[in-house]
Amino acid sequence: MRNPRLHLPFSVVSLASGAVAVLVVAYIGLIAVVMSYAALTVEFSQSVRNDEAVVASLESAYLAGVARITSTDYAAAGYAKPLAEVFVRAESVTALR
Amino acid sequence: MRAQFRSRIRLILLLIILATLGVLVRLYFVQIVHGDEYAQKADRQFASGGSGLFDRGSIYFTRKDGTLISAAALASGFVVAINPQTLADPEAAYAAIATVSSSTLLSHEAFSLAAAKKSQAYIEVAHRLSNEEGQALAARDLSGVQVLRERWRYYPGDSLAAQSIGIVSYGRGDTLAGQTGLETAYDSTLSRSGDSLYKNFFAELFSNVGNLLVNARDAREGNIVTTIEPEVQARLENDLVKVSAKYASRESGGIIMDPATGAILAIANYPSYNANDLQSIDPKLLGNPLVEHVHEFGSIMKPLTMTSGLDAGVITPETTYNDTGCITVNKASICNWDLKPRGVIPMKQIIVQSLNVGASWVATELGQERFRSYFTTLFGSKTGIDIPNEGRSLIGNLSTTQQVNFDNMSFGQGISVTPIQMIRALGALANGGVMVQPHLVSAIRLDSGITRNLEWGEKTPVFSPTAAHETAQMMTAVVDEKLQNGKAMIPTMSVAAKTGTAQLTNGQGGYYTDRFFHSFVGFFPSYSPRFIILLYTNDPQHVTFASDTLGTTFLDLTRFLIDYYAVPPDRGLPAQAGTATSTRSG
Repeated sequence: MRNPRLHLPFSVVSLASGAVAVLVVAYIGLIAVVMSYAALTVEFSQSVRNDEAVVASLESAYLAGVARITSTDYAAAGYAKPLAEVFVRAESVTALR
Repeated sequence: MRAQFRSRIRLILLLIILATLGVLVRLYFVQIVHGDEYAQKADRQFASGGSGLFDRGSIYFTRKDGTLISAAALASGFVVAINPQTLADPEAAYAAIATVSSSTLLSHEAFSLAAAKKSQAYIEVAHRLSNEEGQALAARDLSGVQVLRERWRYYPGDSLAAQSIGIVSYGRGDTLAGQTGLETAYDSTLSRSGDSLYKNFFAELFSNVGNLLVNARDAREGNIVTTIEPEVQARLENDLVKVSAKYASRESGGIIMDPATGAILAIANYPSYNANDLQSIDPKLLGNPLVEHVHEFGSIMKPLTMTSGLDAGVITPETTYNDTGCITVNKASICNWDLKPRGVIPMKQIIVQSLNVGASWVATELGQERFRSYFTTLFGSKTGIDIPNEGRSLIGNLSTTQQVNFDNMSFGQGISVTPIQMIRALGALANGGVMVQPHLVSAIRLDSGITRNLEWGEKTPVFSPTAAHETAQMMTAVVDEKLQNGKAMIPTMSVAAKTGTAQLTNGQGGYYTDRFFHSFVGFFPSYSPRFIILLYTNDPQHVTFASDTLGTTFLDLTRFLIDYYAVPPDRGLPAQAGTATSTRSG
């Protein structure tokens, strides 16, 4: 008794080799994708941080301006106290109020 | 046909293998042969999450219109390091670095010593170079000199609210962490684990699927939004500097709070420090004195004594007593500030004229048990403010039975509390008799994108609304009738206030007769307050009364807040809009 031999139209070894090669390429490709993803993430994160630093610098200028205005001695700058104060009901307010 | 198919398969396989080999060879050259070169280049260009680059959440001030302004942020620049093993010409390198930036560069001697350490491969020699400076130095491509990215904590306001914001530095470990203030209180929210930039895609995908949907770190880490209004804070700090300078005080402090919510708009103490200049900071200034230190506040305690009496029903505003100027209690003498008797007068005059004998009389009428109960509720616990190291009040005299101790406490001597406890207690008078929890942070903006508003809903009823209202009326009379002889009155705004002048303890169980602690509290509009202000100055020179040292400052802040927030008038104007009704000579 002999088992009938299975005849395939291609070599199993060749098919396996091909599959391995495809998987290797796919693996390398995925590594490239992951590295690119990481690089972009870092780049975007750094970009955000740099922008925040620039904003903080602008805010520093704003706060310095607030401090300068607050500490201004208007009498020394030549302004006199008002002779009288008139209290009125506010009719309108500015956008910031 | 079959042979042709096989040859095609082999050809494709060969191409794939060649492509694979090509990629591998390229990777070998990129990562192995030129790896260091590319790494240095990358370091100059980008932050590396795995390289220990400092990262931390921001802290924000909140302007009155809701705009967020950074109180603490990150600044980025470059650090310069040398590799003594490859540094060919130290003198030339030093000159080149000094040309670009000399402000943070090591001294020439220290640089030479560092360059001589041939056993080491990395020594940092200059920090915090700007982007332009770093790029300029990197472009020179000096052998043995590395120009790397660095980030550091930056406080755009310099000294603005510095003692409340806190600092970041190395503590016991080798990790930068919050050491004081909000930086400490919210360190777990502000700190970053540092590995969030590089993620293993496969590990994330296959072993940690849950994190792709809900990242636990993003739900914990975020930025802090404070209730501090930068312009109000700047105004308060500026006024405190003036007070300290004018009277050579040991220190001056102040708090501005919304009495209905406990949100603190400004909190400051002078002297303070520049948070961007850690090397120059006196360590004694690092804490927050308004939260940590206790003081005997003096007569601003009288409104609390008065309200306790009114709430308990032992007195009414119409009740009278005979003021003799001085009384003797437990063999101790208690006198009015001017030693003068007033005769038979109503309760209101105790507040308006700040009479110690009157406050003692109310305390006696109240009885020790009720006095103990009220003051334990007011000062027996910490406020729970979100600043670390909150101090505990010294209220041991409440546990005694000698009436003189209760009499002294009734006008603010013999009882020491923190400024934050004091404004919480006095805030009850401005909030219908209910104490609220003071706080500095209103919300946390999580990295996940969600803003979590913090709940500060702890409310402690102490007095009835009626008792609080009656005391507010008496305090309003202080401004309208007494302060600056009535000139302090604002025709269109009711303002309630009380001054306090306490003798300083001499450390030997007694009090100095010529050294004082001045305090001032006020709120407005008197019967629906939006702001309560507490001020103090410690040991001012050549001045006795708080009305002299702090009255002007309080009025300046009051007028500023009315104008800045456009607080509508609560009196002195008729129903018709736009009519000028009151005029006062300036």
